[in-house]
Amino acid sequence: MRKKDYFSEAEDSTLLYYEEFRDKKTREPKPAPEPEKAKFEIIGQKTPRVDGKRIVTGKAPYTHDIKLRGMLCGKILRSPHACADIISMDLSKAQSLLGVKAALQLKEGRVKYVGEQVAAVAAKDERTAEEALKLIEVKYTPLPFVVTVEKAMEDGAPQVHGDRDRRNVPAKPFNDYNRGDIEKGFSEADAVIERTYKTAVEIHHPAETHGSVAKWEGERLTVWDSTQAIFGVRDGLAYWLKVPASRIKVIKKYMGGGFGSKLSINDYTVTAALLAREARNPVKIILSREENSLCVGNRPSSIQTIKGGIKKDGTLTALYLKNYTSGGIGRGDRCGEPIIDVYTCPNLKVEEYTVYTNTGASRPTRAPGHVQGTFALEGFLDELASEINMDPLDVRKKNYSTKNRGNTGIPYSSKGLDKCYEQGALKIGWTKRNKKPGQGNGRLRRGLGMSSQIWWGVGRPPTLADVKLHRDGSVEAVSGTQDLGTGTRTYMATITAETLGLKPENITVKLGNTEYPWCGSSGGSTTTPSVAPAVRDAALKAADYLKNLAADKLEIKPEEVSIGKGKFFAISNPSKSISFSELLREFRQVAVFHGECGGRPSDYAYNTFSAHFAEVEVDTETGQIKVLRVVAAHESGRIINTQTAESQVIGGVTQGISTALFEGRVVDNTTGNVVNRNWRDYKIATALDIPEIVPVFVDSIDPHINILGTKGLGEPPRIPIAAAVANAVYNAIGIHVREIPMTPDKVLEALKQEEE
Amino acid sequence: MKKFQIAEPKALEHVTSLSPEDRTYCLMAGGTDLMGEIKDGIIEPEIVIDLNAISGLSHIKKDRSGVRIGALTSLAELAENPVIQNEYPALHQAALSVATPQLRNVGTVGGNLCQRPRCWYYRDAQVKCRKKGGSRCFAINGRNKYHAILGGRVCHIVHPSDLAPALIALDARITISAPKRDKTIPLADFFTLPSVNVRKENILAPNEVVKEIILPPAKSGEKSTYSKLKERGVWDFALVSAAVKGIVSEGIYSDIKIVLGGVAPVPWRLERAESLIRGRKVRINSVKQAARRALADAQPLKENGYKKELVEAVLSRAVFSLV
Repeated sequence: MRKKDYFSEAEDSTLLYYEEFRDKKTREPKPAPEPEKAKFEIIGQKTPRVDGKRIVTGKAPYTHDIKLRGMLCGKILRSPHACADIISMDLSKAQSLLGVKAALQLKEGRVKYVGEQVAAVAAKDERTAEEALKLIEVKYTPLPFVVTVEKAMEDGAPQVHGDRDRRNVPAKPFNDYNRGDIEKGFSEADAVIERTYKTAVEIHHPAETHGSVAKWEGERLTVWDSTQAIFGVRDGLAYWLKVPASRIKVIKKYMGGGFGSKLSINDYTVTAALLAREARNPVKIILSREENSLCVGNRPSSIQTIKGGIKKDGTLTALYLKNYTSGGIGRGDRCGEPIIDVYTCPNLKVEEYTVYTNTGASRPTRAPGHVQGTFALEGFLDELASEINMDPLDVRKKNYSTKNRGNTGIPYSSKGLDKCYEQGALKIGWTKRNKKPGQGNGRLRRGLGMSSQIWWGVGRPPTLADVKLHRDGSVEAVSGTQDLGTGTRTYMATITAETLGLKPENITVKLGNTEYPWCGSSGGSTTTPSVAPAVRDAALKAADYLKNLAADKLEIKPEEVSIGKGKFFAISNPSKSISFSELLREFRQVAVFHGECGGRPSDYAYNTFSAHFAEVEVDTETGQIKVLRVVAAHESGRIINTQTAESQVIGGVTQGISTALFEGRVVDNTTGNVVNRNWRDYKIATALDIPEIVPVFVDSIDPHINILGTKGLGEPPRIPIAAAVANAVYNAIGIHVREIPMTPDKVLEALKQEEE
Repeated sequence: MKKFQIAEPKALEHVTSLSPEDRTYCLMAGGTDLMGEIKDGIIEPEIVIDLNAISGLSHIKKDRSGVRIGALTSLAELAENPVIQNEYPALHQAALSVATPQLRNVGTVGGNLCQRPRCWYYRDAQVKCRKKGGSRCFAINGRNKYHAILGGRVCHIVHPSDLAPALIALDARITISAPKRDKTIPLADFFTLPSVNVRKENILAPNEVVKEIILPPAKSGEKSTYSKLKERGVWDFALVSAAVKGIVSEGIYSDIKIVLGGVAPVPWRLERAESLIRGRKVRINSVKQAARRALADAQPLKENGYKKELVEAVLSRAVFSLV
């Protein structure tokens, strides 16, 4: 009866009993991972994307490509005011325009930023919808507003949320962390310095803008959404529309990026469903690049002041971070995690405050908080290192920790940061850096810099996955996860193929549908450590079951059966075999094997690590920075597919260089509007701005995290690069540019201040 | 975007016979920027006159009187032309520095000279600034990192063209097809400051068409260069650019002409710097000082003061590259 525990032969393959699994299994940790790397033939190798051809030839359907019979175009009217009260709204003219099928008021009372949705229409085509928006009459009373952090913090500034308990700067820090005694720490130090670092508001700007398509069939709703969280969108729609989640299906097959802005339910998705219900036709809403700049999230800015003490031997004695971070009408980012966690430092204080402004609300942006926090912390460490004339890499090694919370917490399950230091330094030629920052001469100066990184990146039990076997020998790997373009489809195929002795192209992967087994949102670098072990688990169960069947056929014991090259064979006599498809022909129905990502022991801290090294050239006359080379050494546990992992690192570093040098939202004080709400004025790095990026993966299989020993990699490569570039600039010119983006005006300003 | 009709005249006369008072039409060459303006609701023409069906406007011809460049010549064709490359390097470099290869394939010489400013207030349909008939320049107290440090006053746009500074430095003339007859004037006189007419950047009337650019034959020993500072490697307008043309031997310019881009509402000639550099052995400090003196009357706004330093840098780079 052992097989029954995890196996059901179901006629309706979607009929699965998730709760049973959750109760039984996820409480106990899964067994330790299989450590031998050599055992795997496909996992860990470079496997091209199984969907690569479809994507690059334009055959992969994105949400933008969805076309349904009778589908209408939905458009949203947005507030032109940064703060105003809506006095009245008249939809009648819009409603009576020929071709308009629905119009809705979406807002009453106060609008708090330019771009906030106030009304929506659905019409037969885009032009009619745009025309209809112009016919909506909204009367506003404009009110004073504030769009910059500096102004929002002033006495007498307009209060964004109006009420007393949510002042622009709430009195209580949202992050208030203390350990040891910082004053004692400062008194023990040989050098104490204080520096302030600033980071700009960054917009996610995925290549595919946000969008949803909604279609009702009676009481049932189907939504195609460009989202990182199909189940989150489903549950959000159920909540807002008061429709049972069981009647809502959310689909996302292909996606052109999200970076956190698509991590939860969006107002326009609800609007599309409401319009579709009213118009009795499917409705598609696709946001413009301009809307994407205003109202679907951003990375909060930060103004971080760090005071720190260090001994001559490089020992950190105390660190104190005070941060003012602004996410518009939404929350600021928690930037203090890296400083709290990664280095040994007995005395530490972190105090973080949100600052509200009349701009669109923040959303998580690829490594929220860690990007800003790492830029400040890692820059500060280089400045401290200079105070005591120590190699900045040695300062990091000197304060190396093996337990979290600055060596005061629980041990890291695995921490390969030391290997990252060693291999990264070797590859970049660390010994060739300027021993004294800015020691060179001339207009063009070169320098080397580095930065460490910490992030989470663990799995989310009880992520589920199925492996299905069909009578004709075909195999499916199914999970209700979503592939953001990161390669989820490909590793679902490779893991299943590896486990069943098949090839990746033999596996049909199904994902991106809420009717498939549950999986969490794709954020926080959790998808691979959630889905990969679940698929492996399901495939192992399938393999185990098939080995039993094969054993019967071959008249040997199950443990004497091996699997590979599409066959089951006797270990002692490989010629005694039965092929995979022959064995499956024995089935009467589809066989479904349920896998899950199990729990993990709670007595370890699970984190991902890396060290980035950058070489730059600075033009001291123009303030232009050119990044010449990057080595990105990562420890993320077992690498499942080296090819897509390298892509992930190259993409993260590219995005990081872009924000280090170019990106920043610009808001106008008088209009309250974002002035660079297009890709011409909001500058994103081009191919010419990106140098050779060398990804390095240090050997590591996490001994506790999951059965594959794998950790996440989505966010880690995004985190340290800006600090590595800033530190390289420091090494080149002897001046620390403490603000990103490090555009020529800021570099020249820093050079000038140094002269004075 | 407002609905519009496309007209495809076969001859220039069809355009020049239109009423100059009629504000319902506009001209289109490559259309790379015009379409953006229409889509963003900055302009709402009823008729877009596509000039591409008119023959005889796309050519690069060399004769004894110099080189003639048709207004519909693409920027890519201009950049690839060997005569331009060899005899007018500043123009070659300027053409190559525009936007991206895709945009250069479609964008034209005439369009580049007549392109509307990239000021983000002008480009915001919700903002009625002076250029659009409003009462103030929003850049003056607004976000002005990319705006003019010279010649602004009533309107702080910078002229977006890369070709214009190079062509003016090379003493180019421009032929305009006008209702009665064609007129040919120095290109420098084509551009006008906001203080002359804040709504426009040049003298072109609605029913006039840029027809041709004429470059005088390059003098013996003449050298030229165009140097452009951008924030990123490609697809970026100039923060500051400098076109320099001159005759130089043994480190002394006997003749020099300097025109800046990215600093003013028109391409900005630096005559004062020219006279400080001419006839003396060029040294890094003297060039920088010449730039500083020439910019003595610059009036930077809150966020664009760094452009003065960039002028020093780009000018010395350009001047020294010819020595």
